[in-house]
Amino acid sequence: MQDEKVFIAKLLDSKTQNEAFRKLLQLYQKPLYHHIRGMVYNHDDANDVLQNTFLKVYANLHQFKGESKLYSWMYRIATNESISFMQQRAKKQGISNEEVKEKALLKLESDVYFDGDEMQLKLQRAVASLPEKQQLVFKMKYYEALKYEDMSEILNTSVGALKASYHLAVKKIENLLNSD
Amino acid sequence: MKPTEFKNIPKQNTGFQIPVGYFEAFENQIMQQITPENKTSKNTVISLIYRKQFLMSSIAAVFVVTIAIPIYFNSTAKSSIESTETEHFLMQQQNISTIDIVPHLSDDDISDLAHSLNVSATECDEIETYLSKNEHLEYILNN
Repeated sequence: MQDEKVFIAKLLDSKTQNEAFRKLLQLYQKPLYHHIRGMVYNHDDANDVLQNTFLKVYANLHQFKGESKLYSWMYRIATNESISFMQQRAKKQGISNEEVKEKALLKLESDVYFDGDEMQLKLQRAVASLPEKQQLVFKMKYYEALKYEDMSEILNTSVGALKASYHLAVKKIENLLNSD
Repeated sequence: MKPTEFKNIPKQNTGFQIPVGYFEAFENQIMQQITPENKTSKNTVISLIYRKQFLMSSIAAVFVVTIAIPIYFNSTAKSSIESTETEHFLMQQQNISTIDIVPHLSDDDISDLAHSLNVSATECDEIETYLSKNEHLEYILNN
């Protein structure tokens, strides 16, 4: 925590800001990219959202109060940016958020940056059929291997509720995979 | 056939691929966007539309203030004249007696009036004694 305070001070100091921000990018661009990609599916879209996320982080660094960990604050920004990206796309195309996701999933098979097999594709479809929050919980636990404690801080939900949500998600996915 | 349990399915990854060298390029791209030189050049651009909007808003504000000030002062002056006129009117009216005015006074008005008369405690006792001897006292108290 002390290290993080020092790091945040470096991020806010104009003399050390650039160096510190480069380090922040190196540390978090990969996990945040995977988090965003899991929500928007397409690489180009993930790239756009990741850019917006880091620019927003940079612009709002002085507003970060240190009440939560830096990475959980960044994860929250990335999550909100991904959700609003999908909502804007739905609004632009005049369709629902679920339909936007379905379309993105349909394109996944022909995506040059997707090499998943049949099982991986089936799992992606099954996860996409879950309610929004349950999808997030499942993806963060299963694909991103985050700890429940960290997820709790990012999603502002208790560990118990997250465990219950993950358990329910697994049951639903199990049923969907077996019904195919 | 027995349904497959999720825990027995081998761990699957997302299947998402990332272009080679993407993260190195991304890092440089973001660093370029946040360097002070780029930020300064962006900040110096002032939109003409924004300047025009600001000018129009300023003109509108000056116009509103110019109209509002005389209206405000006229209305306050008028209300003070009105209250003076009312006092004069009441004083000149011979048909309106003190009894007609008293019901319209509040408790505060009456206590202000009592203070302005500056009646001492001895005088109060004298007034009470006078009133107690007055044969119309019951009528005055009940009306």
